[in-house]
Amino acid sequence: MRGGANPDYYYGMRYIGERSTDPGLLVLASLAGGPKHGYAITTDVEELAGVRLGPGTLYGALARLEERGLIESLPAEDRRRPYRLTAAGATALSEQLRAMERIARSGLARLRVAGATR
Amino acid sequence: MTRRAARFTINLYPLAFRRRYGDELSALLDQTPVGVHTLFDLLLGALDAHLRPYEGLTGALSVGERLRASASGVLACWVVFAAAGFGFAKATEDPPYSAAGDSHGLLAAAHVGVEVLAVVASLAVAAGALPLILAALGHARRDRRVRGPVALPVLAVAVYAGLTALIALIARSQSAQHAPHGTTGAHLAGIAWALAGAACGTVCVLASRRALFAIPASGKRLLCALVTGTVVTVAMVAIALTAAAYAIALQVDAPRLAASPNGPFGFASTNLAFAAQLIVMLVTGSLATLTTYRGWRALVREPAT
Repeated sequence: MRGGANPDYYYGMRYIGERSTDPGLLVLASLAGGPKHGYAITTDVEELAGVRLGPGTLYGALARLEERGLIESLPAEDRRRPYRLTAAGATALSEQLRAMERIARSGLARLRVAGATR
Repeated sequence: MTRRAARFTINLYPLAFRRRYGDELSALLDQTPVGVHTLFDLLLGALDAHLRPYEGLTGALSVGERLRASASGVLACWVVFAAAGFGFAKATEDPPYSAAGDSHGLLAAAHVGVEVLAVVASLAVAAGALPLILAALGHARRDRRVRGPVALPVLAVAVYAGLTALIALIARSQSAQHAPHGTTGAHLAGIAWALAGAACGTVCVLASRRALFAIPASGKRLLCALVTGTVVTVAMVAIALTAAAYAIALQVDAPRLAASPNGPFGFASTNLAFAAQLIVMLVTGSLATLTTYRGWRALVREPAT
């Protein structure tokens, strides 16, 4: 399924597709490994992409993703609340990563060709 | 210190956002290193949350809370706006500006327009605040927790009025002794007075907001605050536009006067001071418009009971 007629999916795709280092995409990629709370997402994203998300950026992204139905919160543990991907979030992330993979593959191939003709 | 500042910054987020994510944000701040970049990140996050509100959080506030947030938001904007307006009044009070107004109709009309609108806005602030102040005073008699937020603005205004009277007395005695104007001492006193004014305004806004959320207020009083807040907002926008017309007219009709060093403490030209004041007026006017709009939107969606 590629989102079908689900508007959340397309808005989500547009939102997370703006930049490859978009906080929304990084958060979705982190949550692909399982539910996490804010601090765990921050450290995971730092390991994954070398990007340290500030607390304002992180919670801005979490709020937007939750608003679009791409993630959902689980019951709070103390003051921390874990989040997990929804089915729409997993689809949106998968599509976005595939698109990035295609771009990376063809970009690298073009670089190889350009290198050979130089 | 930075961590405390970061925690305070969470208060700058919209109430609905704080209610949903505030505890989590605070827990995250307890676990992560906090630096100046964190403060900056939180400030940008708060600005983004105000300018692009999260639709998913609209149900997080009741209509009463939304109206309270709008009323205190307009008050905060008005306090900052009034400071800029005071700067405008001080910059244009000297005789050369009156003389320029006498010979150029638009200048005089714009100046009078700003004054009339400022009086209208001040009366509207008083009309909207008075019923809520009375409700807060009545509630403070029964609830000890509300006494602090109710007493703080009164105390802050009293201290500020005392400081103003003291500075005015010193200035008068200096004037009587024919001391030269514009000395370093006078400038320092002026800066201290301005900073005290900013502190007084901040205390008034924060304490009144706390009191407003702590007291039960009837729908009528909140509706009155929203209506008067709307009047204040319209007046703020109109003052900003009229002040802009004055600044343009002064530049066209009296360019020398516009370029003269008549800004705060003589540090800046009248033009530069006008530019800074207009930016503050337009920003606060826009924020007041936004919060007033949200109040009306909440009321239209679910009328207050």
